[in-house]
Amino acid sequence: MRRRATATAALLALAALAIVAAASAKADRAAAPSAQAGNAAALVKCGKTRSIGLMAPFTGPAASIGTDQVAWAQYYQRTYNATHKTKIKFVNEDTQLGAANGTAESVKGAQALASNRSVLGVVGPAGSNEVKATTGALKGAGLAFVSGSATNTQITLDGARTGYFFRTVPPDSSQSVTVSAFIASKLNAKHVYIVDDQEAYSTGLADEVQTQLRAKNITVGRDGVSQQQSDFSAIINKIPRDVDVIYLPWQLPPKGQAFGQQMKSLGRGSVKLMGSDGLFDPAFAGLGSNVYDSFFPVNPADKRVKAFARLHGGQTEFFGAPSYVAAQVVSAAIDRACKNGTASRAEVRAQIRKTKISKKTSLLGLAVAFDRHGDMVKKPFGVYHSVNGVFVRVG
Amino acid sequence: MGRTLLCDVLHPVNWSLFWGELVSGLTLGSIYALIALGYTMVYGILKLLNFAHGDVYMVGAFIGFFALQWLGGPLDTVVTGWVAVAVMFLVAMLGCGALGVGIEIFAYRPLRNAPRIAPLISALGVSIFLQNSALLLWGPDFRSYDTFNLVGVKSYSIGQNFFISNLQIFTIATSIALMGVLTLLIARTRTGKAMRATSFDREAAEMMGISVDRVISFTFFVGSALAAAGGVMFGLVFGQIFSLMGFTAGLKGFTAAVVGGIGSIPGAMLGGFLIGLTEAFATGYLPGGSTYANLYVFALLIAMFLVRPSGLLGSPVIQKV
Repeated sequence: MRRRATATAALLALAALAIVAAASAKADRAAAPSAQAGNAAALVKCGKTRSIGLMAPFTGPAASIGTDQVAWAQYYQRTYNATHKTKIKFVNEDTQLGAANGTAESVKGAQALASNRSVLGVVGPAGSNEVKATTGALKGAGLAFVSGSATNTQITLDGARTGYFFRTVPPDSSQSVTVSAFIASKLNAKHVYIVDDQEAYSTGLADEVQTQLRAKNITVGRDGVSQQQSDFSAIINKIPRDVDVIYLPWQLPPKGQAFGQQMKSLGRGSVKLMGSDGLFDPAFAGLGSNVYDSFFPVNPADKRVKAFARLHGGQTEFFGAPSYVAAQVVSAAIDRACKNGTASRAEVRAQIRKTKISKKTSLLGLAVAFDRHGDMVKKPFGVYHSVNGVFVRVG
Repeated sequence: MGRTLLCDVLHPVNWSLFWGELVSGLTLGSIYALIALGYTMVYGILKLLNFAHGDVYMVGAFIGFFALQWLGGPLDTVVTGWVAVAVMFLVAMLGCGALGVGIEIFAYRPLRNAPRIAPLISALGVSIFLQNSALLLWGPDFRSYDTFNLVGVKSYSIGQNFFISNLQIFTIATSIALMGVLTLLIARTRTGKAMRATSFDREAAEMMGISVDRVISFTFFVGSALAAAGGVMFGLVFGQIFSLMGFTAGLKGFTAAVVGGIGSIPGAMLGGFLIGLTEAFATGYLPGGSTYANLYVFALLIAMFLVRPSGLLGSPVIQKV
């Protein structure tokens, strides 16, 4: 009798537990979207200081380009705060682009920004893979994110983040046209070898350049390396001797530098190397005069560019300049959304879509406005040549 | 167009490619062999898989880097380039030797009589500890040895299309010399005899008056010093080092030790060269080779387990039942 009572009590307890578990799971499921929707629509009192998320590779293999982006974004913050009554504050998240745990770090950073209700918009992240990985968290929380370097063509066209994601750099479809035209007409290459780094940014750009070069009757070979790889000698041996140009659409300048050095040590130092925007860095330029690179448009004559160079010991690296523009876009949108004293993330997104920076006031030397996909309406790319270790524009 | 490229690669007498991949494979294999030696020596004596060994190799590369900075950096060394390289090797080998002894004393010795799984877990813990300490201390950024400015990289051509660099010659020659010294140490010295005795039967060796603790510590010292030499070589040849470089290299070194026959010193050397050559030739000749080079390497490991579980030069363990 007593055993029966115990069994009944146990069964009842189990049933109660099951009901509680089911109810709490249902509550979780129901709460998740409404919490996200709530974050997107929630009105935040603007106050004197407005918060913007800043996602960049502060550390990691891509830290050299990340710190450059951060320096430019902070330069915008500094000039803004000095000239406005209201102030902006960055909430920094290190994405460690290119590190083994890089994607996980970027998602973690996006989640932190999503749950921080004072953050009204985000500058970054830097890489196209990171943009894909962080979309769920940022879009789910209603945050707009404006990248100053993610160039993969498809991330604006696949519809997965339309209305949320914008960029202040031209896409790879523009870059590939410029690069393939330069390789064909200026470098007069007959045989090109492309080595991608197996990441979304790299393979996408490599595919586009390959197709366009083949359309110009240029022989194209193709191979790939891992971003974690440091020994390129085996692949260098494989590259045919009659190759005129090797195209490296890579993200990590130290890897580009290692590839170039290993080319030299294997007696192939005279082959022309063409990098992509990800390799636009002194580490790559320092390899020698056989190095070329494609890069975003920047107006070196702009007084802000000159002031930045003065502030940073004469530095003339512009990789981070579009991040200045990204910060400018987000902060201007927040200012417009905050006109009545409060703003929501949805209002900031709507204001970013309406961005209009005239050519005269744009650091990039061209007007900045976004099309319905989140791309800039005007999107030219420049080609640079390494002269005494510094990139000089040649096309 | 695509066909022309395929012919370039698959042409049966493309000697340029063949010799190029051979030298690349031997260079990489030299480094794997040095790592594999540490795995095999420790396994030979303690029957322990020291999974922290790959991270000791990484620490060695960093000690070499900081020794170079201490000497003034690659552009402004207070001594000539090759003397600086010698100092880097010496400091890294001594530093990692001491680290290896420390790891043995603190992480493995207290577990010597525990079930075999305990030191294995401890080894994994040490590996994670070293990796994360490196990330904390030195960050995840790449550090460059800047070998071009340090020693001036030169390439020599043999025939029309075959090139070999002075660093590749240096790496292969130095590792063969280190392996030769190790072989002599084990075969011709009293310490080597003590190591062999301990490996054969630890208890009997102890009863014969051999200080087993000292022999084990010495084994860790030598194995870790060789891994450090591998780390410095990696930095010199491939130009850059980073905090997580020990993981994959450790796995490859372990694979080399297993392929050669774990516990066998000549086997570790052979396994190292075999893994390096597999990686290089797979990159050069097989479809998608550079992308899937690691796949081919680990497929070799699986094949070896299936065909010859004791490895190329390992002997099957006979157990008294």
